[in-house]
Amino acid sequence: MAVIEVEGLTRRYRSRTGTFRRRTAVVEALRGVSFEVERGELFGLLGPNGAGKTTMIKVLTTLLLPTSGTARVLGFDVRRQARQIRGRVGYVFGGDRGLYDRLSAYDNLRYFADLYKVPPRTRRSRIDQLLEMVELKGRERERVETYSRGMRQRLHIARGLLHDPEILFLDEPTIGLDPVGARELRDTIANLHGAGKTILLTTHYMYEADALCQRIAVIANGNFVATGTPSDLKQVVGDHTIVEIETFGIADETVERLRRLPGVRAVGVETREHAQVLLVQSAVGADVVRALLNELAGADTGKVITREPTLEDAYVELVRSA
Amino acid sequence: MIAAILTGVRLHMKQASRNPFDLSGVVVWPILYASIAYYLLDAKHDPKLLLSASLGAAVMLMWSLVVIASSGTLEQQRWQGTLELVVAAPTPLTAVIGPICVGGALVGTYGIGATLLWGALLFDVPVSIQHPLAFAVAIPAAALAVGMLGLIMAATFVLYRAAFHLGIATQYPVWIVTGLLVPLSLLPAFVRPISWLLAPTWGFRGMQEAAIGGTPWPDIGMCFVLSVVYLAIGGTCLVAFEYVARARGSLRLT
Repeated sequence: MAVIEVEGLTRRYRSRTGTFRRRTAVVEALRGVSFEVERGELFGLLGPNGAGKTTMIKVLTTLLLPTSGTARVLGFDVRRQARQIRGRVGYVFGGDRGLYDRLSAYDNLRYFADLYKVPPRTRRSRIDQLLEMVELKGRERERVETYSRGMRQRLHIARGLLHDPEILFLDEPTIGLDPVGARELRDTIANLHGAGKTILLTTHYMYEADALCQRIAVIANGNFVATGTPSDLKQVVGDHTIVEIETFGIADETVERLRRLPGVRAVGVETREHAQVLLVQSAVGADVVRALLNELAGADTGKVITREPTLEDAYVELVRSA
Repeated sequence: MIAAILTGVRLHMKQASRNPFDLSGVVVWPILYASIAYYLLDAKHDPKLLLSASLGAAVMLMWSLVVIASSGTLEQQRWQGTLELVVAAPTPLTAVIGPICVGGALVGTYGIGATLLWGALLFDVPVSIQHPLAFAVAIPAAALAVGMLGLIMAATFVLYRAAFHLGIATQYPVWIVTGLLVPLSLLPAFVRPISWLLAPTWGFRGMQEAAIGGTPWPDIGMCFVLSVVYLAIGGTCLVAFEYVARARGSLRLT
């Protein structure tokens, strides 16, 4: 049974610039998106910055109205039945914002428990249970302004779960966390999903989507460019082999020449610390390494790795061809 | 919803009280205004006049704090990302923003104690309240009415990102029109009907009549009547403006 049903959803933003000569600019953040999420599913929205992920979540959590199209959450229309949706969903976003810094974690949770109409007789135990779950028990009387980013993020999760929502919307929840904090948060998300929660997660970390999500939609420029399981998406580049070549100071013309080599399907360039890494996609079985190295003769090169495609490769290919 | 309102008032007062800089302003402001009024009105031979000036200064502070609470807090909530979260909650926005405004007005009641104490210590103004019960009721009645007037302004601030500047711009006009800065008798006649529509006029009169002797209960009653009217207007505006803000996407700064 679908608990999120989106059909032909469009959202435009208007912004005005200029003091005397007012100009209106229209940005189309979502362009006719359609999809469904089943009850108990962990669905991922994957896309680059500005692709429309947060706009989608805000429409579904009733913070933004759609410009056209329809969106229903738990059977309620986001435009006309916002109040019914709000009590049944939880919204958590990543980063430092979204908490009352001068108040303690307990006061923050107490306030949101009242706003979400948690019954007074269960409020205290619910807050204690969630503090225990996010490992903030014993620190709940300290002001939030003294918390680390990881602690704040865990407090966010507790806040989003206070009213035991049927659907949890997580908007880049691990952004800015250190690796240990991010892993702990991913474990928390996996546990929530294991407990039967429907979760819609946005992220631009491929491994996170790969590890957590049952289905993923790749969004670029306001459109869904692919939807499927992580394995389905990897099939986009399933008949490819990836060659990674570490280089230094490679010119754009050289990259163009590499793209024209027989057997080469795409070439991307990533900057990692001081090196440029060429990500070359080639057909399976095509031996392109020798030809690539010949073309790079004279250039400063480092490690060369040949590997199977990952979700990240599929994502890059999908976003690039969007 | 009542739990959300009560917790909201308590926590917003707590939050406001945790900034020593803001808090020192709360204590110093009304003292300054009361002192200016003392010398300006040459009130040393008229303790009643000075008591009135002290109470007027306290109501001025109350209005300022409501303006700061409603506009400043909403702007702060936009910055810290909590505005979207309180809008996303099932509790009506009136029950979220109303307590912020009333909490601000209640913090302003500190000013009453500060000015009375200042007057007694520096200017030998006897702190004798003629109708203690009415005075005790007049203070929360004024705070409620002034807070609810702030709710109407706050509705506008949900819509506009320049909330704080808009709010600050209303401080002096309200002080003047309600007779807090200049006696109403000195102002043109057309100002009086405007003053009747504004809570600080009745809040000040209620406290003044209770303190120096008179008939405070009609003024206190007007505070409650206006509170209900403001609540109805502010609540309706908030529902409408929240819808517009969702359409425009203006609940967040970025």
